[in-house]
Formats: sequence, C-alpha cells, structure tokens
Amino acid sequence: MARLWAVLVAVWKAAQRDRKSLASFSGNNIFHLGFALLFLQDPGAFVFSAVLIAIVLFLPLSGDPLRKVPPERLALWPLEAGERRLLRMTPWLNPLLPLILAMLLWRKVTTGLALLLGGTFAVGFLAPRAGRGGGRRLFGRLPPFPGPLNQLIRKNLRELFSTLDFYCALLLAAPALFFQAGGRLPEEAVGPVTLVILLALSTCAQTLFGLDGEGGLTRYRLLPLRGWQVLLAKDAAFLMTAVAMTAALEPLGGLAGALMALAGGRRAAVQVDRRQARWRFQMGASFGASLFQMTLLVVAGAGTMFWTPLLIVPCVAVYAATTYWFGRMIDRQACAE
Amino acid sequence: MISCRQLTRRYGAFTAVDGLTLEVERGAICAFLGPNGAGKSTTVKMLCGLLAPTSGEAMVCGLNAARDGAALKRRIGVLPENLGLFEELTVEEHLLLTGDVYGLPPAVARSRVDELLDALGLAHGRDTFAAECSHGMRKKTAFAMALLPNPEVLFLDEPFEAVDPVTSKTMRGILVQAASRGVTVFLTSHILAVVEEIASRFVMIRGGRLVWNSTREELPRRLEDLYFELAEPANGKEIEWLGSGRS
Repeated sequence: MARLWAVLVAVWKAAQRDRKSLASFSGNNIFHLGFALLFLQDPGAFVFSAVLIAIVLFLPLSGDPLRKVPPERLALWPLEAGERRLLRMTPWLNPLLPLILAMLLWRKVTTGLALLLGGTFAVGFLAPRAGRGGGRRLFGRLPPFPGPLNQLIRKNLRELFSTLDFYCALLLAAPALFFQAGGRLPEEAVGPVTLVILLALSTCAQTLFGLDGEGGLTRYRLLPLRGWQVLLAKDAAFLMTAVAMTAALEPLGGLAGALMALAGGRRAAVQVDRRQARWRFQMGASFGASLFQMTLLVVAGAGTMFWTPLLIVPCVAVYAATTYWFGRMIDRQACAE
Repeated sequence: MISCRQLTRRYGAFTAVDGLTLEVERGAICAFLGPNGAGKSTTVKMLCGLLAPTSGEAMVCGLNAARDGAALKRRIGVLPENLGLFEELTVEEHLLLTGDVYGLPPAVARSRVDELLDALGLAHGRDTFAAECSHGMRKKTAFAMALLPNPEVLFLDEPFEAVDPVTSKTMRGILVQAASRGVTVFLTSHILAVVEEIASRFVMIRGGRLVWNSTREELPRRLEDLYFELAEPANGKEIEWLGSGRS
C-alpha cells in the first residue's frame, strides 16, 4: 500500500500544480472586462463573464488525474495487480465529480446548465482516452494557404485553436451568429456582441509566440524570413479567426477591432517572453498592457461601427506601422541574445 | 569557408568561448569536440549568426555571421541543439515549410521532401506531429530540414545522438557525400568512434578555449585517447552501493 500511496501523492501533486496553471484567466482580457463591468455597477455582466470562464475551464479541469503520469512510467513501477486495480479508481478522485453531482441535485441549477456542465465534464474525461494528440489531429486537416507562409499560418491556427480564449469567443459567437441568422438578434446588440467576441480573443494577440516553445523560437531565428513576415503569419491566423466569428455581425467593425487588438498587443507579443500553456486561457503581459489593448480595440471597433467606416483606414495604417516597427525589432533580436 | 578570429562570448563574468581562432576549408567535415559546457553550442550559435560575439569575428561563406545574418541564413543549413521544431506541425509540414521559405519551386521541394523522408526512414511518420514524435524522429526531421535547401555549409549540433544505427549510417553517408561535393560540414558530437570515421578535421575545446586543431592525418594517436588527454579526463569513479545487495 505504501507504493500505491506514493503514486497517489505524486499524482495529486502533479494535478495540483496543473490546476494552478488554470488561474491564467486572471490575466485574460475577458476577465478584465468582467471586472471592469462590476465596477461600472453591472454585476450581472460580471457574473456572465465568470460563468463563461467557468464553462470553458471545465474542459481542462475534467481530465483524469492519472494522465499526469506518463503511461510508460506507470507501467514500469513495481506495483501489484491489486494496487493497479485500485489506481484505476483515481478518475473518481477528480474534485469536479462531486461538484457535478451536487449541481444535478441542487434545485436552483437549471437542467440545461447542469447538462451543459456534465456534458463538458464527460467530454474532458473521455476525450483524452480517444488517443494521443486528439486536439492536434482535430485540426490536422486545415486548408493550404497561398504563399511561403502557408505552413506557418496552419501552425498558428492550430496554436490558436488550442487556447481556451478561442473556445470562449466561440461560445459567444456561435449563439450570436445563430440568432443573427434567424433575425432574432436585436440590432442594438450586434455591435456590442462583436466587440465582446473580439475582447474574448484579444489576449492571444499579446501572446503570439507564447505557444511556440524554445524549439519554435529557435526555428524562427534560423529561417530566412524577415520579422514582419513572421508577424504576418501570426496575424493571418488571428485575423481569419476573428473575421470568421464577426463577419456576419459587424464585418468592418470586427476587422478594425481585430487589427487594433494586434497593434495594441504588439509590444507585449514581441518584447515580453511569457510562455503560455495549451488548453488554458492566455495570460496577458500586464494589466496596463491589457487595458491599452482593450481600449484601442473598443475605440476602433465602436468608432468604425457607430461613427464612420472610414476609421478602418487609420486602423490599417497603425497596424501596418506596428508590424513593420516590431518586425524590425524581431530582426534585431535574432542576433542579440 | 568557416573562419573565426579571437571569437569570444561572455555571459556576465562567465566566459563561454574564449578567443577561438580557427579555419575550416571548403568540403571539410570538421568535428568540434569537447565536454558538456565546453562552449560548443555557443560557438555554433555564433557561427550561424544566432548569437552575437562579445568580441572577435566569425566569417562563414565570406559573410560576417553577426552582421550579415539574413544573407547567411540562405546559405547554411543548421541542426540546432534544441532541434528547432514546431509542436503543431507534422514531419512533412516541417520540410514543406523549409522548401517554401527558401523559395524552392514546389515540384523541386516535393521531390526533395519525398527523397529525404525515404532516405531517413521518416516516410511512415510523415503525418506525425512533432510533439508526438520520438526524439530520434525529431532529430531526423531537423536534419532533413538542414539538408533540404542544399546549403553550402552545414552546422550540426549532436546529429548522431538518439538515432538508430541504420539512420546513423545513412546520415554519415549523406554527410560524406555532401562533403565530397564541396559542402562544408561543422558538427559537434560525443560519439567519438563515429566522428573519427568521417571527419577530416578535429577541433577540441575545453572551458571555451581551443586545445586541439588538426587534420585527420595530423592526429598523433587514437581520437579517444587524445580526447581524454586534452578535453576531458576519464572519470573512473565507482558507485559502491550499486549491485552490492538489494535495498
């Protein structure tokens, strides 16, 4: 039993450390937005953003804790057959399971919400058993893009799709597009919803290189590409996603907001070396950086939607200028280690 | 083809590479040897233009590695220490990416990719994401990426570690063939028997300083003996408890 106990302690420690990384949402723009709305006397909006974050977080939280141990290592440990059988019970140690059961029994939770949370938990629980690299294979077959940046754009899209920010934005965009298609989305809601979708996605523009890892960053420095080209491949993935989510709502405002999210996040993306984790919310460089980026995004998006569509012109110009400027910075960094 | 004069790199008070001066002729296979932490990878980074020297100068293909980094990258192939792979790209996509950014015509790139995948035994794993590859597959992918643009100089950091014997033999064959056609190969390795077989020049460093530089013909004795004498004395320390009773 001492051996089993040692394994359980190790699994528990690994799961606890993993859970700490979930707190990255505290540096995310959607959390900042909710917090700002709370101070603006809109507690309902804060609760909405908190529920949104909680739903998206359910997926990574609901994994089997035993997955923290590499299967090859687990197979090598000198455990008896009985101990291995007991170890198979660890999925039931997941702290979310009693929470789900309690919610299902609690009358105030609607059946829909309980089913949504239960379903998310089940997916998180079962998906990792479907085979290694399920997440990557899900987006393995992306269409090719023209030009030499083709493979980099595909890679960047896959990176973006492995962030919880994307799913948070998708959770906002999918029902909005559904209601918009059915003509049931109030006209006055179209603009704000577009901006909220962009805000949910915008932290990714601050962490463009956060998922590339040491190897990826080395490869960027080895490839005969200019800094602006590297940024362009990153931006293409972000812009395609943002435009796809907002095109049916406010296309021009969405584009202006997305361009400003990239321009406003440039400094953090290029100069702040903050590694990010997959299947987590992206963590912005600082509150100040997030505030700056969110302000630019909202002013540009709202201005284009409600003031004049011509505002897209300076947005494009600012975007191009930051791409050039920070591209040069990347070129200089390539040999300035 | 590769030339450095008084090449020095300091990290604060620590000197990783100390006044390295050497010349490597075109078509040579230069084995750059030394113990862990001797400054091999730092030197390779400076020669590739990835790291600016604190002082001194490195010239590769007639270009200053620190100043002309962009031009140099088009003429060299590099297998870096950390392999430089993207987790979200497959083996084949890595090679296609290389073809794209080096401006190879698609048909040429496609044919080179297929040939390299085949030669290095990667064809069966071409659709595997780098994050899911074994270390050997990752190394072979990075090696293939270095070869694909048909460079003038190859910088290979530990190319033979973690690859199977057949691939190791294939890689040696490719390097010898490339060198015979004028490609200069600069490699680091801890597998002395392998480098002794293929290298035409041997350079050893210890504590960032050059301790040996000669051609194969000038080697006074077996490479391993020379290495233990100059670069890293063999440590015959015993672990007393190992095998002396179960606990």
